[in-house]
Amino acid sequence: MTEIIENLKNGIIKSNPVLILLLGLCPTLAVSTSIDNAFGMTAAVLFVLISSNIIVSLIRNYTPQRVRIPVFIVIIATLVTIVDLTMQAFLPSLSKSLGIFIPLIVVNCIILGRAEAFASKNKVPNAIMDAVGMGIGFGIAITIISFLRQILGTGNLAVFGNEIFNVPGLSENPMSIFILPMGAFLVISLLLATLRYLGVIKSG
Amino acid sequence: MTKSNLKKEIVPVLFLTFVVCISVIFLYGTNSVTEEYIENAKNDAVKSMLKEQFTEMDDYSYDEKLDFYTVFLNGEIVGYAFIAVANGYGGPIELIVALESNFLQEDEIIIHGISVVSHSETPGLGEKIVEASFSDQFTGINFNDVALTRDGGKIDAISGATVSSSAVVDSVFNSVKEKADIIRENFDLNNGEES
Repeated sequence: MTEIIENLKNGIIKSNPVLILLLGLCPTLAVSTSIDNAFGMTAAVLFVLISSNIIVSLIRNYTPQRVRIPVFIVIIATLVTIVDLTMQAFLPSLSKSLGIFIPLIVVNCIILGRAEAFASKNKVPNAIMDAVGMGIGFGIAITIISFLRQILGTGNLAVFGNEIFNVPGLSENPMSIFILPMGAFLVISLLLATLRYLGVIKSG
Repeated sequence: MTKSNLKKEIVPVLFLTFVVCISVIFLYGTNSVTEEYIENAKNDAVKSMLKEQFTEMDDYSYDEKLDFYTVFLNGEIVGYAFIAVANGYGGPIELIVALESNFLQEDEIIIHGISVVSHSETPGLGEKIVEASFSDQFTGINFNDVALTRDGGKIDAISGATVSSSAVVDSVFNSVKEKADIIRENFDLNNGEES
């Protein structure tokens, strides 16, 4: 039991996929322009990650070593396509704003990484907890980055069309650079540096 | 090749084939369930896009071959619209260009309005092409006046976003020029058949 909780905590804090393992940086950089996108991306990644970990873990004893990577990729690609089609059908506006990034989950290294490093070697319950932990860890990281970028880049915070607050002065003259790709690099590197300075990330 | 070697070679191939087959079944299933919804969602998106230009519309038809929309209210044609793609600063800008229905009878082509469907322009600068203060300038003007003010037209460029502004202007002018003839020819054909 403690082992399972350990698996869950592992992904959120100790080896947070974005902030510590530095996996899945491309989607993190690309879609972190607004909190809405961060939530949508997190939901999609969580679904794909949990399902792929379950399936990979179930077939781990039958998968021939030599073809394991192609097998994982086929499984992940199938799941992503299902998510993509479902989103297009039932959430067209979210699908439009996430656009190209949904198909790109296929090559998100968090998912393939967890399939290869964890799910293919562990029992199903552990694999599920690992996926949930990693998914939440990804969600927390991308939400923090989106929050900072949206506040600095637009001067106000709106979630799903509801304006929560805006920063006086900043909303009239926003620092647009933070919405641009360069801002993503700035925010993520400053965030990593701060966490390291505070000792949250230990070097080595 | 010994028997065990053959097995070692063939099992992975069969396994991968099996996984792909299962995956195909799932994808086929998902596609057949979602196909109809995706079609409806696209249809709704087009309708709301046309509604932005023609608030009083109830139906539209799409000419696949000539790639334009005819917009109706109670069975009467209220206007025409088509999608134009401009070469923006940050990538393609998709625009919907709406034309008044009466341009068929008269020589001058009056633009009903334009709106941006999708773009990837710089936030805070080129992004302003979506704002009414820019796109409303096109409403009701003759298509010959579609040019930036500095080139003798009637459209004021957005300060700091000349590339985005002139991309939209050029694309509207060129596409109207090209599409208007197509719509005219098409209309004559229909008219001939009807009368």
